[in-house]
Amino acid sequence: MNFKRVLLMISMTLSLCGAALAETVGEPAAATDAKPALSVRSFTFKFKQADKAAAAIKPLLSAEGSMSIQPSSNALVVTDHAENMKAVAKMIGDFDKEPQSFRLYVRIVGASRVEGASKIPDDLKDVARKLSMLPYNTYESVGEATVQGKEGDPGLIDMTTGYRAGFHFGEYDPASDSIAVKDLQISKLTGAQKDQLTSLLKTSLNLTIGQTYILGASKAPQSQRALMIVLVARR
Amino acid sequence: MITCRNFREKLQPGTSEPELLDHLRHCDACLDFAMSVDPDLFFRSIGGEEIVPPGGVDAFVGDVMSQVRVRQAETSLAPHRTVSVWQRLAIAATVAAAVTGATLAYRFEHRPVTHPASAMSIAARTPATHFAPTATKSFVETYSSHNATIVEMPNDGSDTKVVMIFDDKLPADL
Repeated sequence: MNFKRVLLMISMTLSLCGAALAETVGEPAAATDAKPALSVRSFTFKFKQADKAAAAIKPLLSAEGSMSIQPSSNALVVTDHAENMKAVAKMIGDFDKEPQSFRLYVRIVGASRVEGASKIPDDLKDVARKLSMLPYNTYESVGEATVQGKEGDPGLIDMTTGYRAGFHFGEYDPASDSIAVKDLQISKLTGAQKDQLTSLLKTSLNLTIGQTYILGASKAPQSQRALMIVLVARR
Repeated sequence: MITCRNFREKLQPGTSEPELLDHLRHCDACLDFAMSVDPDLFFRSIGGEEIVPPGGVDAFVGDVMSQVRVRQAETSLAPHRTVSVWQRLAIAATVAAAVTGATLAYRFEHRPVTHPASAMSIAARTPATHFAPTATKSFVETYSSHNATIVEMPNDGSDTKVVMIFDDKLPADL
């Protein structure tokens, strides 16, 4: 009988310990192990395109999440867990706003490699330092300007040196906190009368807000001349 | 008294000759031999006779078999208390505790790893007016010439990103 009592006490003690552990550990474990049901929600956009929003919210979706675009209604149908749906709804709410205004700073710098001592103006020493890995020792300012505009607005900068920068403000991407600069075309007035506009390059860029970018263009790595375009987008 | 040789020559299974039985009562050596020939021979040598139970053999066998059936019925009806109630409770509690402990240990070992600073949690904590980047986009999305080489230069530690485009269609006097 004593053996039975001892065995019973041991069993009861183990049961109590198990219950205590289940209260402390079992609850979060059950919360994480359990797979909540997926919910479906449709988002209709007023200002932005649904396909652009799809790219923005894609990183927020879980492995089970999915979405489909309905171009006819400019809507996005998202399927995911309720917890993720909150983040998606918040992102879409912030994304689908009236076109935001941004300022784009553009500076064009001519870089060349010449014999003799380097020539770097004081106002370009900061740029030249960032380009120290390139084989250029002379820099000259071609022009600079800041253009303000909303998403979708065109921008045009005419510089007194004959260079022109034309572009469109693209859409802001909250996921990467970046603004697209569409169809940035750098042109140059050429000819004896400087009356012929020659396109040098055309590109589309994504600029993270507040970050400085330098886009260099050259015929070849060993070329003596390059054009450096400094770009900074701000709100 | 006959000799052992005569005894063994005359011995037949089921014999009841007095001289053979008399020899058997006095000769241990022939007793072993007789037992191998007829096991009941010794019993008859000491005067034993067939015992008939009262009422006959069939009645006796019937009574015995009825008692056997009664005992079997009692055994099947009686609860099999090979393990007491206390022992059962103790065993059940032990098994429950073991299962609970094993389940908890398994869940603890296989719990998903959570990253407190994951992109999702950052996005959830970010105010509506400012976004924490959860993705990065390439700086140069498109370029007019497909033959150009686009190279991102090594970062010198600053926040500035430098990208070079080498395009043989560009004029030399940019």
